Amino acid sequence: MSGYALGDTAVDDTFAEAFPMRYARVVITAATTAWALEAAHSMTGFATSVIGCKCEAAIERMLAADETPDGRPGIAVLLFAMDREGVGKRIVERVGQSVMTCPTTACFDGLPGAEKTAALGQTLRYFGDGFQASKVIAGRRYWRIPVMEGEFLVSESVGVGRGVGGGNLVIGAGDEDVALAAAEAAADAMRGEGIALPFPGGIVRSGSKVGALTSKSMPASTNHQLAPTLRAQVDETLVPDGVGALFEIVIDGVSEDAVRAAMRRGLHRAAGAGATHVTAANFGGKLGQFHFPLSDLRDPP
Amino acid sequence: MTLTLTLRAEPPARVLAAPLTPQRLRGLNASAVAALSLRCGGETVAVGDLFEVSGAGTEEDELVLAGDLRWFDGIGARMSSGGIVVRGDVGSWAGSEMSGGVLRIFGDAGARLGASYPGTRVGMTGGETVVTGAVGEEAGAGMRRGLIAIGGRTGNGAGLRMLAGTVISLGGIGGEAGLGNKRGSLASGRALEPLPSYAYATRFCPPALRLQLLRARELGLTVPDAMLSGSWSRWSGDRTELARGEILIFDEEEEGE
Repeated sequence: MSGYALGDTAVDDTFAEAFPMRYARVVITAATTAWALEAAHSMTGFATSVIGCKCEAAIERMLAADETPDGRPGIAVLLFAMDREGVGKRIVERVGQSVMTCPTTACFDGLPGAEKTAALGQTLRYFGDGFQASKVIAGRRYWRIPVMEGEFLVSESVGVGRGVGGGNLVIGAGDEDVALAAAEAAADAMRGEGIALPFPGGIVRSGSKVGALTSKSMPASTNHQLAPTLRAQVDETLVPDGVGALFEIVIDGVSEDAVRAAMRRGLHRAAGAGATHVTAANFGGKLGQFHFPLSDLRDPP
Repeated sequence: MTLTLTLRAEPPARVLAAPLTPQRLRGLNASAVAALSLRCGGETVAVGDLFEVSGAGTEEDELVLAGDLRWFDGIGARMSSGGIVVRGDVGSWAGSEMSGGVLRIFGDAGARLGASYPGTRVGMTGGETVVTGAVGEEAGAGMRRGLIAIGGRTGNGAGLRMLAGTVISLGGIGGEAGLGNKRGSLASGRALEPLPSYAYATRFCPPALRLQLLRARELGLTVPDAMLSGSWSRWSGDRTELARGEILIFDEEEEGE
């Protein structure tokens, strides 16, 4: 596959294909950064792919005390689903099970003023079994849910925005450790405001294709064209000569521009960190509304 | 351009200032505002006779009242939107039955701040009132929703027959606080002996109160850091009503630690 070179890194002439999604941002605060992180890690666990987990979620960024509604250290978390209803269901489940349960936390809407919303405290309040109370502060309603520690404070609802899910880069090198180091560097560069990398460490080693060769019921199966161990076994392999391992970074973002900018950061960081090959996954351009050609990312950020 | 009313001289009798709300003055120029009439004792007087008027009423800007307004009752009463800033002391009934907007008083306020008028059950139903100084009796009486934050001390009977909402008084609250309170919150920054119809629950750092204190600080109140992160005693009551209300009392011992 022709393309261009960034130093010693060959970049394929292809594109990443992404889809419209809906997202919410919650701000989790706690007495310490450590407890806020515990809640955020728990809330974003098992949220790698909408196919298997019904949503995709990740820590967006750490927040200093002066950036949060209650003046305590916090974490911004982004959660993506296919529609607003999906966001609403998942956010209630995950805040209820992972944030409300976590010592010292409070949970706030991170998209105040959004046109569309989904219920959060409005639903979770029933855990208070009639003892819950609400307060309207600066025009926003919060629910106080009595718990064994004291009270859990949570926003009545969260804003729901239109985002983009499924942007990606596939990063390869001759050795697994070099490829992984390049992918780690790329993931570090891609994280930031408006970006969620939902897989473990931001990296997925088991990139998938839609459907399966051997089953009609499987929604997804291994991307056999990018599996190095199958290079000599399948005719349509896309693993270049000299590449021994590939890692994919899936990117969900709050906008097309945010995803494109993250991909540009990741591509150039991977190239500088030892990747010998960078490509992207797509479905022939027929399924996703958003296309991100790697040729558009040639200029450094 | 902000609409500013500066008091010319002390009025001959008490003045009902309730008509001076942002929503009623919106779109009026200085001369139109000056021509409005207010009740002063048994008489009617023009705003322009009492105040020097400058600027015009806009949707974005606050109405500013300046001067010693202790003879002016009902400032901000029944206001529903916008903002009023008072630079000076005000009389009674300020913010009474207000339903929205922000009333900021940089001075003292008289009795029945944010309360219901005689003969009505429900006082303030929304909005925010901040008073940097001291406040008279029965602040927040009949209050249903909203926030009253007071920097100084509040007189007796605060939160009388309160339905909900919050009254915070950093300088402490007088006796018989929260009598007949159903679901409201009273927070006192100084020691307070609750009524016998309140029962002690626990000490904790209330997360909602922290948010309200930060909001009060944003609106101009000086809130000590110790009150944001320190512990407060929670008393539940009034047991003669639903017992869903609360009095929060700051643990002063921790302030100096």
